[in-house]
Amino acid sequence: MKSGQKKWNMWLVLAIVILALFLIFVVYPIGLILYKSVLMEDGTISFAYFAKFFSKKFYWSTLINSFKVTIASTLVSAVLGLIMAYVLRSIKIKGSKYLNIFIVISYLSPPFIGAYAWVQLLGRNGVITRILNSMFHAQLGGIYGFSGIVLVFSLQSFPLVYMYISGALKNLDNSLNEAAESLGCSVVQRVWRVIVPLVTPTLLASSLLVFMRVFSDFGTPMLIGEGYKTFPVLLYSQFMGEVSTDDHYAAALCVIVIAITLVLFFLQKFIGNRLTYSMSALKPMEAQKTTGIRNILAHAFVYLVVLIAILPQITVITTSFLETKGASYTGNFTFENYKNILMPKNISTITNTYLFGLTAILLVVILGVLISYLTVRKKSFLTSILDTLTMFPYIIPGSVLGISFLYAFNKKPLLLSGTAIIVIISLCIRRMPYTIRSSTAIIGQISPSIEEAAISLGATERKSFIRITVPMMMAGVLSGAIMSWITVISELSSSIILYTSKTQTLTVAIYTEVIRSNFGNAAAYSTILTITSILSLLLFFKISGNNDISV
Amino acid sequence: MSVAIHIENVVKRFGKDTVINGLSLDVKPGEFFTLLGPSGCGKTTLLRMIIGFNSIEGGQIKIDGKVINDIPTNKRNMGMVFQNYAIFPHMSVKDNIAFGLKNRKVPKNEIEPRVDEILKIVKIDHLKNRMPQKLSGGQQQRIALARAIVIHPEVLLMDEPLSNLDAKLRTEMRNAIKQIQQQVGITTVYVTHDQEEALAVSDRIAVMNGGVIQQIDTPKNIYQRPANTFVSTFIGLSNIIDGVLESNEKGQAVVKIGNYKFSMNNIKKDCSANCPVKVSVRPEEFIINQKTEEGIPVIVKNSVFLGVSTHYFVETKEGQEIEVIQNSDLEEIIPNGKKIYLKVQVQKVNVFSEDGSKNLIDRGIRP
Repeated sequence: MKSGQKKWNMWLVLAIVILALFLIFVVYPIGLILYKSVLMEDGTISFAYFAKFFSKKFYWSTLINSFKVTIASTLVSAVLGLIMAYVLRSIKIKGSKYLNIFIVISYLSPPFIGAYAWVQLLGRNGVITRILNSMFHAQLGGIYGFSGIVLVFSLQSFPLVYMYISGALKNLDNSLNEAAESLGCSVVQRVWRVIVPLVTPTLLASSLLVFMRVFSDFGTPMLIGEGYKTFPVLLYSQFMGEVSTDDHYAAALCVIVIAITLVLFFLQKFIGNRLTYSMSALKPMEAQKTTGIRNILAHAFVYLVVLIAILPQITVITTSFLETKGASYTGNFTFENYKNILMPKNISTITNTYLFGLTAILLVVILGVLISYLTVRKKSFLTSILDTLTMFPYIIPGSVLGISFLYAFNKKPLLLSGTAIIVIISLCIRRMPYTIRSSTAIIGQISPSIEEAAISLGATERKSFIRITVPMMMAGVLSGAIMSWITVISELSSSIILYTSKTQTLTVAIYTEVIRSNFGNAAAYSTILTITSILSLLLFFKISGNNDISV
Repeated sequence: MSVAIHIENVVKRFGKDTVINGLSLDVKPGEFFTLLGPSGCGKTTLLRMIIGFNSIEGGQIKIDGKVINDIPTNKRNMGMVFQNYAIFPHMSVKDNIAFGLKNRKVPKNEIEPRVDEILKIVKIDHLKNRMPQKLSGGQQQRIALARAIVIHPEVLLMDEPLSNLDAKLRTEMRNAIKQIQQQVGITTVYVTHDQEEALAVSDRIAVMNGGVIQQIDTPKNIYQRPANTFVSTFIGLSNIIDGVLESNEKGQAVVKIGNYKFSMNNIKKDCSANCPVKVSVRPEEFIINQKTEEGIPVIVKNSVFLGVSTHYFVETKEGQEIEVIQNSDLEEIIPNGKKIYLKVQVQKVNVFSEDGSKNLIDRGIRP
């Protein structure tokens, strides 16, 4: 079939080009990190940097600290997310639609904004701390260190578990509930013995996402950790620190992080595969109207959790209209903060955010659709390599990717450091696995016979892809793209490493303003970010036509 | 106008697996031809070789005398109706049907009337501007059919088009398909695993099993004179009973089942004396004899009254289970445990060689 071969070549060329891109922008930088981590200054190969890490308590204790905060926050998030999802799915809560939106917003804002907001509320000088101190004549030191980090991460991450579990519960047929009830199960037993086991795979998957996110986040412990140093903080300071920087040592630290996330990833896959049930609900669970004390308790609980979760956003938006004097507020209302960030001739921080974000999303969507099409419909050895390779960034924390990019692209012919391109590519790579996964799911739902029908009606393979497959995927891809967009503009961990004054984005600006104690400007920037997220989210709801979110 | 399809010694391999090894058949111009067989018998594989979604590893397929092995699907000018209809969900009914016409660069002013015409033929002209997603399975099926025939294909291919419909709609649609096919007069290859459907719509049926054609014939012959025991048990129900074929003093063929003997005058004379055979008797071809002791002695194990007919499940003394269908009459249903004798309608039964591969009935002789 000569002409058939010619068409296959179009896809073959595409596969090779995409493969080459991933080799350059994923394999090469990560390979370089691996190499650097064992390369001594005299050119010999040894594991001395790893030995250095594990021999000094100052270093390895950060890893212990990281595990402590991560495990604690993951547990709290899992429990909170599970309870919230079950309550909201089983009991009719007034205004649950808006609560849903608030929960999603609290999740979508970068964690370090939560950290800085909670410092404003519960810090040494925080509003709530001061109220409590004057009420009880106490001298509360504020929430810092372990408890502060866990508070911020838990509130920030439980929405993720909530969204996943909520989605799983939707696929759970109510007859399972009814069957359990008819067999004499009490409500608590039912949740514990029927619901929890069935959502366990989802719970694990979402917990792993929480774990990886919390484990690699450095903004939060940086701002609220004070003396409590976690691993990402160590990594950041080893790489960017003012006192001493050691590239090779930082590379070794990167390798340690990758090793840990890799183990977690496979562990979750292994456990998840053994526990998966395929369910589809004929009659989904319905939120029941409840009365009396149960109803009041459910409402109180849900509203309290959502209020606490959204409190950082409220704080940030409120303080953005407060006059500041140094690091403290005078209590007067003002637009001064917005003037400060919007009036200067150079507002590139804001335009950069939109420009980088949109470019990255466009690239991610195009590549994501092509890659998922190749791996689903054009199965071959080459595309199966592509499949594995494109999932790789999933386990690479942002800061590690940022560092590896700086190592890899700081000299000719690939001199990209300091450019917008490097920021955009890093955003692309970080988001790619998610986009590919969702596109793959979408393609999986399109029957191959649809394309065959087009071809039997005289369309070429390319035409059937462009006219039939792509339009059919569009709605799903578009709503996925909006979610990607919101995550991309909230990204800090790789941008903070890659940015220069010319390529600063909103999150980077917020972070640096917070570090400089310009809380007014930080709040104004954050508000712009939050409003962008909310508007995008509303657009998402409009396009996807439902309130289910997967990130 | 209608074309013939010649399939000559085609071979299909998936990797090292040979699914079809040298299969040949001819479809006549304008014929409604059905490939019938259990799932995995290669019928869909063969259909997809005709349309070009499957490559051909050996032999050739000719349409109207022209070899099409190397012509890409989109140039083959065949219409196909898929099992799941494969309606483009993002296009209106009209756009779905016009899709193939646009690909064929049919002038714009011709497209509209052709779409309208076909919509009338398949009787969904009132749905022209609707989006397909809200339409019923039967309506989607009609769109799929219209979309496949509006391009005036040389060949229409249908891959289990009715399997996703409910029973009532299935009957309605198969009549519609048959009628539209006759109206348009297009050579049609139809794939199904449903024997009743095949019998209902086809001019001729090819029964397939394991990638090999067992029999090609009209629905009536396939049912009444199956070529081998596979066909006789796959199409309808058949009780296969061991027997012996011998000749009587007049030289007439006599079939012996146990002590029950009956002579037949339409047996091919290639068996001399006392050769073991398989006698294939359909449940409705038995005559229950309660008056004498002529017939196969059996015990009634169970019975089901179904209104029009009554089914008896009986057992021979060798332990073979046999199903018997009788028209329901006013007499009492025979009680379980009762011994009865089964005679057969001699002119209807089929006799196969011992291995079941050959029907010994000579169809040239009318009994």
